[in-house]
Amino acid sequence: MAETVTRIDIAKRGGFWRLIAIARNTFREAVRDRVLYNLVIFVLLLTAAAIFIGELSGGQERKIIVDLGLSAMLLFGVFITIFVGVGLVYKEIERRTIYAIFSKPVGRGEFLVGKYLGLCLTLLVNVVVMGLGVSLALVYVSKGWDPLILTIWPAVLLIYMELMLITALALLFSSFSSPALSALLTFCVFVIGHFSADLKSLATSLGSTGARWMFGGLYYLLPNLANYSFITPAAHGRSPAPVFVFTTGLYALVYIAVILSAATLVFSRRNFK
Amino acid sequence: MNRQTLYLLSVLIVGLALTVLLAHQIDAHRPPPDPNAIDESLYLNPSTARRMSLGFNGLAADWYWMRSLQYVGRKIISVPEDMAIDDLSELNLKLLAPLLDTATTLDPHFLDPYEYAAVVLPAIDVQEAIRITSKGIEANPTAWRLYQHLGFIYWQQKNYQAASETYRRGAQMPGAPQWMEAMIAKMAADGGSRETAREIYLRMFEQSADEKVKDMARRRLIQLDSLDQRDGLRKLLVAYQTRTGQCPATWREVQHVLRAIGTPVDRSGSPLDPSGAPYQLRPGACDLDLAVNSEVLSK
Repeated sequence: MAETVTRIDIAKRGGFWRLIAIARNTFREAVRDRVLYNLVIFVLLLTAAAIFIGELSGGQERKIIVDLGLSAMLLFGVFITIFVGVGLVYKEIERRTIYAIFSKPVGRGEFLVGKYLGLCLTLLVNVVVMGLGVSLALVYVSKGWDPLILTIWPAVLLIYMELMLITALALLFSSFSSPALSALLTFCVFVIGHFSADLKSLATSLGSTGARWMFGGLYYLLPNLANYSFITPAAHGRSPAPVFVFTTGLYALVYIAVILSAATLVFSRRNFK
Repeated sequence: MNRQTLYLLSVLIVGLALTVLLAHQIDAHRPPPDPNAIDESLYLNPSTARRMSLGFNGLAADWYWMRSLQYVGRKIISVPEDMAIDDLSELNLKLLAPLLDTATTLDPHFLDPYEYAAVVLPAIDVQEAIRITSKGIEANPTAWRLYQHLGFIYWQQKNYQAASETYRRGAQMPGAPQWMEAMIAKMAADGGSRETAREIYLRMFEQSADEKVKDMARRRLIQLDSLDQRDGLRKLLVAYQTRTGQCPATWREVQHVLRAIGTPVDRSGSPLDPSGAPYQLRPGACDLDLAVNSEVLSK
């Protein structure tokens, strides 16, 4: 990574181009690390499901293809986010390439955001290819055009937004802790993020004011990832309303901005001299 | 290829072959599962399973749905006799209700498990069948098919008033077919008749996407045809007895009457049931039975 970045004459470029250069190199590094090999497993999984699931599902193969495909997309995405995301900063520090990067006029924030965008690009390639795979599997089991092919894409977009949120969190944790701890913390937030409704109901049902405040605070502080779960309705041919997609997208954008700002704040205080 | 690689490769191949052989041996000596054994209850209750699914609830519902099908399928295979899926009370299917309940809690809009619950569960636990189907109506209030399924359960329980009321509610749903309307009066006035049963199974056969449910409805329709046929044949035998003072000893004695009324017969002159098997004449009793190899359901 560092060699490539240093090869580019960063100093001559503007902030935006520096971001693009770091993002592009993060994407290349992910490709070099064979992160996209998960697509092979995904394709094998879907092919097997498309061929064999009909015999086990009592005529529900289309629903199961969508459920399986989109769930695998989310699961693989979360694994990539956690295991690649937490190493983004750590690897640069461990290899000491970070010193070479920061000897150039690259800001800490630019570095983090560039890294973030690079991993988001990797995830985008991943979800688009997986989405196409699910569409092809649907064509195969339906022996032609299937209306579900259109309804899965809003769900794919929501999955991508969720992955972007988790990537930002992984980056935040990795900016101040070890990869193992970052992975654990990110996974915990992923789990708790899907329990948001329970946090809210706990907050309203508890008697003590302190506990109510605590759970209410946690509900608003942690990302509500349940909003991005649209896999099951998509399997029934239902699409989210455009307003819902817009507001959840906006929520993700604001949350990511907050998380990346916090990560930059923490990372700026670290001494690399 | 050096010696060490060859050595390692041979260990790999021989080892793999051995594991296959051993697995085969273990399978061959494993005692067959006892169909009457008590099933282990599910670890998770439906609402906990939903909470734990972390957005993968659709996939988890599919898993529970496939488990339900495998569970019933395994039990059916384990008994030698032919059974209709709406009469599996002898199979000790204690886990079926929790499995279907979990599948429908994980994905309340998944309609197939409700249909399965309405068809298979009444013979095992009718209260659970009603509860799960009613839960489906609560989650999918405009799905008229769920009212059809609930009406079917009430009809099986001979609660024709409740069945009629359920059909009435279903008929008001958007997209409900005209025959739902007709079933309201039919159920209230003539719920126990063979004609009503025929109408119910005919609609089930036409509407269901599930092959097993379709097959069950088809077999019930054949059974109804056979019941009508047997009633006709009994009348014929009684008429013969009135005329001659004795019951026929063989079908040949009434062959000309059978031919006249257009009943299909085999080479020996025995009338054929709708599955193509000959009816067995009960000598001296002016009655008949289904053949042992008949595919017509006996109950």
